[in-house]
Amino acid sequence: MCTRSIARRRPQRAAGVLLSALALLAGSACSVAGADPIGEGPDTLRVVLPEEPPTLEPCDASLTATGRVTRANITEALTERDPSTGRLEPALAVKWTRTSATSWTFTLRPGVTFHDGSAFTAAAAAFSIRRATDSAIECNVDGYIFSDSEVTARAVDDSTLEVETAEPDPILPLRLSFVEVVPTSTNPKARVREPVGTGPYRLDEWSQGRFLRLKRYAGYWGEAPDYAAAKYVWRAEGSVRAAMVTNDEADVAIGLAPEDGAGDRAVEFVTNEVSYLRMDATRAPLNDIRIRQAVNYAIDREGLVTAVFAGRPSGQLVSKGVTGHNPRIGPWPYDPDRAKDLVAQARADGVPTGTTVTIIGRNGIYPKAAEAMEVVQDGLLKAGLKVEIKMLDVNAWLEYLLRPFPKNTGPTLLQAQHGNQAGDAAFTMGQIYGSEGAQSSYGTPALDAAIEKAQLASGTERQKAFAQAFARQNDEVVRDAVMANMTGILALSPDVRYRPDSATSDEMRLADMRRAD
Amino acid sequence: MFTMLRRRAVSSVVPLLVVVLGVFFLARLTGDPANLYLPLSATPEMRADFAARNGFDQPLVTQFGDYLAQVARLDFGESLRTAQPAAEAVLRAFPATLQLAGWTMLLALVGAVVIGSVAAYRPNSATDRIASFLSSTAASVPDFWLAIMGVLVFAVTLGWLPTSGTNGGAAWILPVATLLVRPFGVLVQVVRGAMVSALSAPYVKVARGKGASEARVVFGHALRNAAAPVLTVAGDLAVGLVNGAVVVETIFGWPGIGKLMIDSVLQRDFAVLQAAVLVTALAIFALNILVDVCHALLDPRVRLRAAA
Repeated sequence: MCTRSIARRRPQRAAGVLLSALALLAGSACSVAGADPIGEGPDTLRVVLPEEPPTLEPCDASLTATGRVTRANITEALTERDPSTGRLEPALAVKWTRTSATSWTFTLRPGVTFHDGSAFTAAAAAFSIRRATDSAIECNVDGYIFSDSEVTARAVDDSTLEVETAEPDPILPLRLSFVEVVPTSTNPKARVREPVGTGPYRLDEWSQGRFLRLKRYAGYWGEAPDYAAAKYVWRAEGSVRAAMVTNDEADVAIGLAPEDGAGDRAVEFVTNEVSYLRMDATRAPLNDIRIRQAVNYAIDREGLVTAVFAGRPSGQLVSKGVTGHNPRIGPWPYDPDRAKDLVAQARADGVPTGTTVTIIGRNGIYPKAAEAMEVVQDGLLKAGLKVEIKMLDVNAWLEYLLRPFPKNTGPTLLQAQHGNQAGDAAFTMGQIYGSEGAQSSYGTPALDAAIEKAQLASGTERQKAFAQAFARQNDEVVRDAVMANMTGILALSPDVRYRPDSATSDEMRLADMRRAD
Repeated sequence: MFTMLRRRAVSSVVPLLVVVLGVFFLARLTGDPANLYLPLSATPEMRADFAARNGFDQPLVTQFGDYLAQVARLDFGESLRTAQPAAEAVLRAFPATLQLAGWTMLLALVGAVVIGSVAAYRPNSATDRIASFLSSTAASVPDFWLAIMGVLVFAVTLGWLPTSGTNGGAAWILPVATLLVRPFGVLVQVVRGAMVSALSAPYVKVARGKGASEARVVFGHALRNAAAPVLTVAGDLAVGLVNGAVVVETIFGWPGIGKLMIDSVLQRDFAVLQAAVLVTALAIFALNILVDVCHALLDPRVRLRAAA
């Protein structure tokens, strides 16, 4: 009897162990569900992003994931560039003058306070510039905007700032539009994760992995934004982001592709991103300019933007509105016969056109990245070249983008995209087309000289010099096959009024988002 | 039982070390993370600083030795991406996955036992054929497709459920349902197979002959004997869930370990990846031991073998 009852209990105990383990796991479910403390009333603007910002460190605001939350929302800079006109506008500085070839004086806006209540002064501005350009904390903005330039900032009095550069720098005020201003209490020796700024919103709560909430800053110096709070969440899948807006779970979703199904909530806008293929002009057969021209003629750009990704065919790496954009450079025409002729001519002259050219692609660089490369491959095969595709993830692809380049790879075409968010060709030309540029596989002395001349010029001279440098690249060097100026898509709730611009992907100004009523 | 537990724990140490070693070296073969973390125009000095600060300038063997010493002190390093302790990120993400997997297995097991038993009660009947067809379909549906279809149908078209997120009980339904389908399909087939043979065994006839009720015959006698293979398969499926909730977590924005692992692989966030893999491996070993314990409780022969 006793034996029987024990035997009967055993399976019950076994099931009990299993069930109680599962129940234990499930029982703590409320720590994930139902614990969201956010009231999502009509006063909260709900934004869905493709990824969580790794940090909100202001000196990393040139990183898209960080900048689109931080810039002009939590922190502000001395100046800001209007993406529609390209003009530099006052922000925390009200005016600036060049006092010598290497020095500038800025007059700062009075009555501005940081979110911690402290006053914004020239000392804070000088501190922020030092902190951002001090490579000890390896700020992204340091490498991206200032690279080798040396900057010294000094507070003359509370509202006057003097900035000196080691070399003459005609676009210093533009560079400073990337330095987000923080109070002197910010750690100067380490990155901060949650910044204090002067912007219209302050950080309210960051529940890692789940959401990030900003709250309107009552002491803001400018016009108060419409929404009292903003809540950011992130979903990697584009169709889910679009569905969140159509399902009224979010007001704004960004980074969408045409097939994500945003329907009549979709708003298309031209970005400053340009897609291109970088040709390795040091290796045969790409070392022959006829082959590089043939690659350009063989690509059906209209077909790509109609059937594969969203954009407009383009012929240069910077879009309209960026200083140096050359309106006379159009997209290369699609001419498969010409491409075939050029390859045949080169072959007749002994160029080894049978060598396999590898397209180094990057998954996810834009929607349907792999399909786009298949279209390119098809055009090049028809032109008589031998081409294969290798699709990589970002880090593996970066090995090919940046110097020193991998050896023994054979001739390559690198799938790339460039977005000049700073608005001046100086941030494009040197690093991409200069002989020694970090992303450059090939350049010529003549083009180097043209770039150097343009970098030192200012005003209309600067525009003309950079436009000429682009023309020289396009006519004499042909290092790239520029494909398209990309179009961005966001989904917008009918309750929100917002007009995206070319900077929207990098900088989403919550204050520009208004109620539709 | 204690002997068995001790043996299993000791025999888990070597595979655990192999996992730790493999992840450490394979991650470092995938390229220099400086490319991702420094600006594109970073100077060689900035790159050297970055490498020195993170110990990447040391030989790989030295790095591994340092890592093991760190782990022994329960220090799992810092995330390259967020500069937060890796252990913090993992401990935040792991319960979310565990809860998701827990609910999924519980529902899959209960559902599969009921449906599988009903199907097995009259083999080849219409009910059995329908259950077999649906379960084999369920076992082969891709997670990704199911998740997106779930969002389109139940969130967008019908508006019954939220598309994603973790806010409120309704947010659990789509992720759990998506994860549930495959294990449920597999388990129904296993339960049905085991129950068909159990129900035709002589002891069932004896029980019926003694006048036991049908419910008691099916759930008291047959199911107890069919439980061992079901438990083995359920254990394997649970391991798969803990390890492979990647697609579901990514689509539904579920802050779990699967998504964390994928993000850390793509971001070459070595410390977080290593910590996530280590914790997952530990959980899998623990789960396997739990399955063994349940086996031993169910089957005296297992206990005897373990004690021998």
